[in-house]
Amino acid sequence: MTDQHPALSLRGLAKRFDTKVAVAGVDLDVPTGSFYGLLGPNGAGKTTTLSMAVGLLRPDAGQARVLGHDVWADPVGAKGLLGVMPDGVRLFDRLSGAELLAYHGLLRGMDPAVVDQRAAELLDVLALSDAGRTLVVDYSAGMKKKIGLACALLHGPRLLVLDEPFEAVDPVSAALIRDILHRYVVGGGTVIFSSHVMEVVERLCSHVAILADGRIKRVGTLAEVRGERSLEEVFVEVVGGRTATGEELSWLSRRR
Amino acid sequence: MAVPATLTAAERPARAVSPRHFVRLKLRVLGNNFRGQGWRIALFVGGVLFGLWFAVGGFFGLAAPGLAGESRYALMTAAFGGGLLTLGWVLLPLVFFGVDETLDPARFALLPLSRRTLVTGLFAAALVSVPVLSTLLAVTGLVVTAGALGGWPAALVGLLGVLLGVLLCVAAARAVTSAFATMLRSRRVRDLAAVLLAVVAALLGPLQLLVLGAVQQADWDRLTGVARVVGWTPFGAPWTAGVEVAEGHAAAGGLKLLITVAAIGVLLLWWSRSLESAMVGAVSSGPSRDRRGTVAGAAVGQLFPRAVGWARRDRFGALVARECRYWWRDARRRANLITVAVVGIFVPVMVNLGGSRLATDGGAAFGEATANSSPVLVSLSMVFVGVLASVTLANQFGFDGSAYAANVVAGVPGRVELQARMVAFSLYVVPILGAVAVVLAVVLGRPGWLGVMAGGLLAAYGCGLAINATVSVLGAYSLPETSNPFAMNTGAGMARSLYALVSMVASAAAAVPLVVAAALLGDVWLWLALPVGLAYGLGAALLGAYLAGDALDRRQPELLAAVTPRR
Ligand SMILES: Nc1ncnc2c1ncn2[C@@H]1O[C@H](COP(=O)(O)OP(=O)(O)O)[C@@H](O)[C@H]1O
Ligand SMILES: [Mg+2]
Repeated sequence: MTDQHPALSLRGLAKRFDTKVAVAGVDLDVPTGSFYGLLGPNGAGKTTTLSMAVGLLRPDAGQARVLGHDVWADPVGAKGLLGVMPDGVRLFDRLSGAELLAYHGLLRGMDPAVVDQRAAELLDVLALSDAGRTLVVDYSAGMKKKIGLACALLHGPRLLVLDEPFEAVDPVSAALIRDILHRYVVGGGTVIFSSHVMEVVERLCSHVAILADGRIKRVGTLAEVRGERSLEEVFVEVVGGRTATGEELSWLSRRR
Repeated sequence: MAVPATLTAAERPARAVSPRHFVRLKLRVLGNNFRGQGWRIALFVGGVLFGLWFAVGGFFGLAAPGLAGESRYALMTAAFGGGLLTLGWVLLPLVFFGVDETLDPARFALLPLSRRTLVTGLFAAALVSVPVLSTLLAVTGLVVTAGALGGWPAALVGLLGVLLGVLLCVAAARAVTSAFATMLRSRRVRDLAAVLLAVVAALLGPLQLLVLGAVQQADWDRLTGVARVVGWTPFGAPWTAGVEVAEGHAAAGGLKLLITVAAIGVLLLWWSRSLESAMVGAVSSGPSRDRRGTVAGAAVGQLFPRAVGWARRDRFGALVARECRYWWRDARRRANLITVAVVGIFVPVMVNLGGSRLATDGGAAFGEATANSSPVLVSLSMVFVGVLASVTLANQFGFDGSAYAANVVAGVPGRVELQARMVAFSLYVVPILGAVAVVLAVVLGRPGWLGVMAGGLLAAYGCGLAINATVSVLGAYSLPETSNPFAMNTGAGMARSLYALVSMVASAAAAVPLVVAAALLGDVWLWLALPVGLAYGLGAALLGAYLAGDALDRRQPELLAAVTPRR
């Protein structure tokens, strides 16, 4: 009966570090089958929110449910449905790509034969087979993102939570990742990912939430949030950015 | 022409970077580290108190000949006391404490600093630490001795000597750890490390006999002769300069100061060499073996090393296999393993050989006592080795750092996690322990005691696994993400020593029943020790994994936060 629940539902999630309030009460419903973009400037609290949603960080207050399973009360039920790619977290990078995938697969209790087959396929599709037995620590930043995504996808989760999946990824790989995620959503999966790149979000997402200063500022389908304007305009207005006037930083110019 | 001129003027740094900047940077980092972290302040205060205790004790020890007016002890105190101190500064960072890398050299790689500026700056920053200050306090005792025996000139030379001596200690500690770290990073030497290990172990026996022989014929002249020789090496030179002047050899005093300065120069040069490779190598710290090439076999097959081939291809097996690979591929973990092997063989051979040599020469009553209770002594030293081996796991999650997130996301049950880690570590350590027992049995010429040795080792190791599983869950702390296996975060050195001490005492206490049994049961124990020790150790380890696993289930996210380095 899990289908009646939203894929991910957050209620009043809050977290403070010492004196700094990183997340100040976030409510969010990610409908099943949606492609959800969590937008926000640096330091908005995206990583903190997603970490609390998947059980990596204990919230000060609030609840997180994955398809009806409470992440903190029923971790086994919730974590089995989740695929996660955290940001700013190392992989077990003294393993080669294939070894890392095997580790993740077995950790999820998958059948070894299935792990072998899917790992080979994922490495092929993500163009990582060429790396052979190179350790992940020696991968480039983009390759690390790709192997991280492969780890999250391997066990066929119902909900994918990705933190900054497009950061430091070259255009070719980004297109590849977009393709894979698109197919995953068409096939009935749900994706929520964080980003501050407007074009990607505008091209991919069915739903958007804009987070700033630890609060949700705008939320809804892409059309609702965007209205008549471009997403970037809305974003800058909500976040309250400023533009350089040209008076400051005059020393940047070599012509006097 | 005017424009380029102003540009170059603007791009040149306004002020030169001096060691002062490094010192201030270090103090700032230290200060920030304390912000809002009560326990860190507590640890720091504990460290300061300990340093003070050491300083006061050392001061009076070294000042004693001067205060008592006993000039004939002065040279020996200075040469042996100071020499031991220097040796401690060289060896202890390698074996136990690591070096404080508050200022990680790799962070400076991109700044336009000359190597000279960098080395003097980092050196100056390294001087600002509790161990350095307490060492300095302790060795001023030597100045008192020199002054009491030789008046102002001797005191002055003595002061210069100890100041240079402290500089020498710090330079030696830095140079040696840095060089060793570089060595362990490269694959060539990683394999060489095993050979080195064997050589060191082989040398221990003869060296031991030599030292013991010297001590046994401890007539006065010989010891003074040794002290004189030590006094002319860099280990003793800075500390004995003042005494030389007090004895009326002013030229010798000056020469010893020169020796010290030269040694410092050489050490700094050596350090700056390895520093450069540390800075460059930090970018890619993995074993840079060419691992490209066609992928042989399927993913799961690749993950499992041959030694883990027996394991089921499931969650437990995957954890064991991954840990097993990490103990070898991670320089930091490998350095720990090597330490266990070296110290594990060195200490018991030393203790037991020393005991039996004294006994066979039939001299002191103490010697006879050790001869009569030798199974007890053997059991005791085996308990020490077992405990030492297991204490490597006291911060096992710290090795993983933020990578541990993968296990949290997958929801690995605590008991499975801990059991797997114990099994993987044991795959390396149990063979080492076996080697320790065999080597000791051969060296002592007591093959019959093999069971007692192995039993004691296994029992203590099992108890240690249990205690350290608990400590690693409750007292985890983050390690810096550098490639230097000896690097510690600020303040973590104290935490590390404290946790290690607590867990070693607790593990040893848990293994005491076996030593008691060895003392009470006599010959029966020679047969019973192995099965009983094995069962005892296994039971303790399982119980530990059971209890600590429960705690781990409750605090997975907190553990992850504790081991994630703060950026
Ligand atoms: N472990 C931490 N300790 C202290 N402050 C933190 C920690 N993690 C995050 N913060 C602070 O919380 C805020 C939100 O951070 P984060 O969730 O990483 O933002 P985002 O991912 O949107 O860039 C930032 O101001 C950051 O400095
Ligand atoms: Mg982030």
